[in-house]
Amino acid sequence: MEEPTTFERHVYKNASVYHYMKISLDLENGKRSFSDAQFKQLIISALKELYGEVGAAFPFDLLKFDPSSLKAILRVYNKGLVKLWSALTLLGSYQNEACAFRVIQVSPFLLALSGNSRELQFGESLTS
Amino acid sequence: MVRFKSRYLLCEVCVPERNSLQLLDERAIHHTLRAAVNRAHGDYGSALFNIGVNVKYLNALTGVVFIRCRKAHYRLIWSALPFITHLEDRGQTQNVQCFFNCIHVGGTIKTSQKFLAQYNRQQLHRMLLDCNTDAEKQHVRRALLSCSVGNVKREEADDEEGSDDDDE
Repeated sequence: MEEPTTFERHVYKNASVYHYMKISLDLENGKRSFSDAQFKQLIISALKELYGEVGAAFPFDLLKFDPSSLKAILRVYNKGLVKLWSALTLLGSYQNEACAFRVIQVSPFLLALSGNSRELQFGESLTS
Repeated sequence: MVRFKSRYLLCEVCVPERNSLQLLDERAIHHTLRAAVNRAHGDYGSALFNIGVNVKYLNALTGVVFIRCRKAHYRLIWSALPFITHLEDRGQTQNVQCFFNCIHVGGTIKTSQKFLAQYNRQQLHRMLLDCNTDAEKQHVRRALLSCSVGNVKREEADDEEGSDDDDE
């Protein structure tokens, strides 16, 4: 007789110390070439404008950057999430050109950023 | 009964030459403080600075400053104090080198004032130990006794005004 499998229930409350953000940069006059360093510098300048030198010093990482679509994945500590998000929102211009950051997805798990239900594309057979 | 709670930062302005303390005015200190908060904490800091921060009292003779700020974000103002290196005077183009030494953080003007009196007494005891000769001791004693009561009374009147403000 096989023993019944015992269930263990795990509840994680804020298991991750990080939050991951998927963002994209919209520029007024279409696309232009950005290097990853320039992109991070732009975010740091936004932080510095809103939160000063203290705010510009807090740690965050640019994990992935796609120069063609100007989309990036950021990793921040939970503590700095609100600061980073607000700084991104309030950034208005890059080199006298209007621009805006769009926050696409935010999640404590990196895996969750792999799929986005809002951008779900149905196959030809389903839509036609 | 609801009231705004405040924190009073009791600071000592340290300058290289004592004469330059006379140049201080409340506006210059407010201006310098705003610049320091803006540099350290950006627009967010400036916005918090605009609500409820003011220079309550300035003693240009001893370089003692009372800064009042809201209790909710006094740490933000407090943390910007060490980054002040000079005071900008609008009238005179010269910059006064200085630093702010925050010696007490109090909830009311009254406790801060008590602390200041105690602190000054302590400093006096410390300095009296440096007197080597009797002549020096006599000199200090005479200087203390020569403080006229009129001056003291006027100061007390000022202080009472200060604590009245606190109750608002």
